[in-house]
Amino acid sequence: MVHALEEIHRLLKPTGRLIDIHPVAISPRLEINEAGKIHLAGYLSVYQWFTDFQQADNALMKIIQRGLFIVEQADIFDVPIHYASVAEMKTELMKELDYFARDARSASEDAPNIEALITKADKLMKLAANTAYLIAHEPTHISRLKPA
Amino acid sequence: MSKHDPENNEIRALLDIVDFSGKHILEIGCGDGNKTLRYTEQVAHVTAIDPDADQITLARKQIPDHLQKIIEFHHTPFDDFAKTCLPAAFDIVILAKSLC
Repeated sequence: MVHALEEIHRLLKPTGRLIDIHPVAISPRLEINEAGKIHLAGYLSVYQWFTDFQQADNALMKIIQRGLFIVEQADIFDVPIHYASVAEMKTELMKELDYFARDARSASEDAPNIEALITKADKLMKLAANTAYLIAHEPTHISRLKPA
Repeated sequence: MSKHDPENNEIRALLDIVDFSGKHILEIGCGDGNKTLRYTEQVAHVTAIDPDADQITLARKQIPDHLQKIIEFHHTPFDDFAKTCLPAAFDIVILAKSLC
């Protein structure tokens, strides 16, 4: 990661800017929206995501400490992901888990957390109206950096 | 199929933080180009890369005729692409979840 940022520094004009966007290293909140009424289902706790996002933070911190870039502006915004049903959410989360898991161990650590959350969300959805849907909120960090 | 960011929060955050007018852009990790196409109207040129061939095929299919000369989508990892580039080639580099 740090090497990629060094290369980006080389490719940027001295007046250029680097824009980095990546999710914040916290567990996304999962809600059920029932005609505007929000029910908390839990938090998507996926170790591998957390590790990846933290590594991205660390890489940025390293190049800032080395004086390659200066942060000019930073913000956090919400990226909501809407799922029409628990089945849809389960399919997509498991696909993502397969994609992100570095090895069988990390997948086996994360899968039970997701399964437990899916079971809870399923119970809540069965109690909710037919029009209810699920929303996962992914807080995302955006920053603008200038070459130092 | 889930709806990812239906309120377009990401593109709004991007447009709030950077002025794209007349700039040469490199987007690393462009995926299917959905975000790329949202800011391209303002720029001088965009080079968007992604290591996933299927995503780049989708991205190329989405380019409207009037933007064909402004956007280039390349199927390549960043390290390989960087070796082909001269220094100081871009005004803005966007890393969209590509450090993760």
